Amino acid sequence: MTQKQKALSKEEEILLQDFSRNVSTKSNALFYGNAFIVSAIPIWLFWRIHFMDLLTSSPLFLIITCLSTYLVSFAYKKTKFVLKHKVAVKREDAISREISKMIAEDKKMNKKEKDERVLWKKNEVSDYEATTFSIFYNNALFLAVVIGLSFFLLKSFSPSFNYIFSVGLSSGLIALLSTGTK
Amino acid sequence: MARKVKRNIATVSLFTMDNWLKICIVVVFAVATTGNEEATPAKLLFSKQILNKYLVEGMDIVIKYSLFNVGGTAALDVQVADNTFGPQDFEVVGGQLKVTIDRIPPGSNATHVVVIRPSKYGYFNFTAAEVSYLPSEDAAEALVGLSSEPGQGAIVPFKEYDRKFSPHLLDWLSFAVMSMPSLVLPYALWYSSKTKYEAILTQKKDK
Repeated sequence: MTQKQKALSKEEEILLQDFSRNVSTKSNALFYGNAFIVSAIPIWLFWRIHFMDLLTSSPLFLIITCLSTYLVSFAYKKTKFVLKHKVAVKREDAISREISKMIAEDKKMNKKEKDERVLWKKNEVSDYEATTFSIFYNNALFLAVVIGLSFFLLKSFSPSFNYIFSVGLSSGLIALLSTGTK
Repeated sequence: MARKVKRNIATVSLFTMDNWLKICIVVVFAVATTGNEEATPAKLLFSKQILNKYLVEGMDIVIKYSLFNVGGTAALDVQVADNTFGPQDFEVVGGQLKVTIDRIPPGSNATHVVVIRPSKYGYFNFTAAEVSYLPSEDAAEALVGLSSEPGQGAIVPFKEYDRKFSPHLLDWLSFAVMSMPSLVLPYALWYSSKTKYEAILTQKKDK
């Protein structure tokens, strides 16, 4: 009974991981780290091209970067969750074949264990691909929108307001888009 | 024969009268004009122009001074002085703000160019330069005149100008280099996994 419970709980655990919106600590650190870096990159543009003074504008840079970090990492998580299921469906066959090939010689492994392993591998691969693609997609969109807003739409604004609105609106926009279900 | 003689006499008379009339007109004109030119002293028209389209802090401004002598005599000892650009606000980069031109013949002009560099930004009123000259050789007193005034101009801060016009190529390149890891790395990782599993699928299909 205890072993069955353990086996069930292990399967449940994998399923829970698969369908859960929660990310692991490692993923969290990865998301926040990437979000911070990509949120800080526009500071270079505003310092060198819009001639914002680095020292006097540092409180503003800090506040907006932190806000943007939060919103971008939110976008990463939401996008990853949506992508994960799509990737899982696409990779299922290939992963099954890969696992079958790996355990072909191992006669001791039963079908249940094989299925567990496939499920685990599928979760891992879909998690990995969804994470990397989510980071790439949101970074590209964020930087493109920042450049579009600050150098075209908001170019007549003063540099400080330009920074606040371009970075703030860009991170807000990608966070909003990430909440879509498709 | 009689007709020919009559025609000849008429022709000679006419020729003589016509000639005489022309000579009289020329003499009268010469006397009139010669008398007037000698009487008109030199008169200088003086203009001051700013040749720049943009006035920028720390960048050159070209000022052109033009003198036109519309009088009948040469203007002598022409002294041009522009005291409107104080050393605390402007630096003279080329030319001089005080020049002397020995002689400007009647009906001719002279130009002088000065290049200055503003050290501050803000609104600046470009006022007139001064000229003094002797209107004739025997003139006892020099005449003093002022140039035209270009008027108020806005000297913009260098940052504004640079922000508007500089291509910032190096800065954009640096931005691209900084953005690459955030874009290329995740894409490369995703792509490698994608191609790996797509290859597995295609291998099986081929078999």
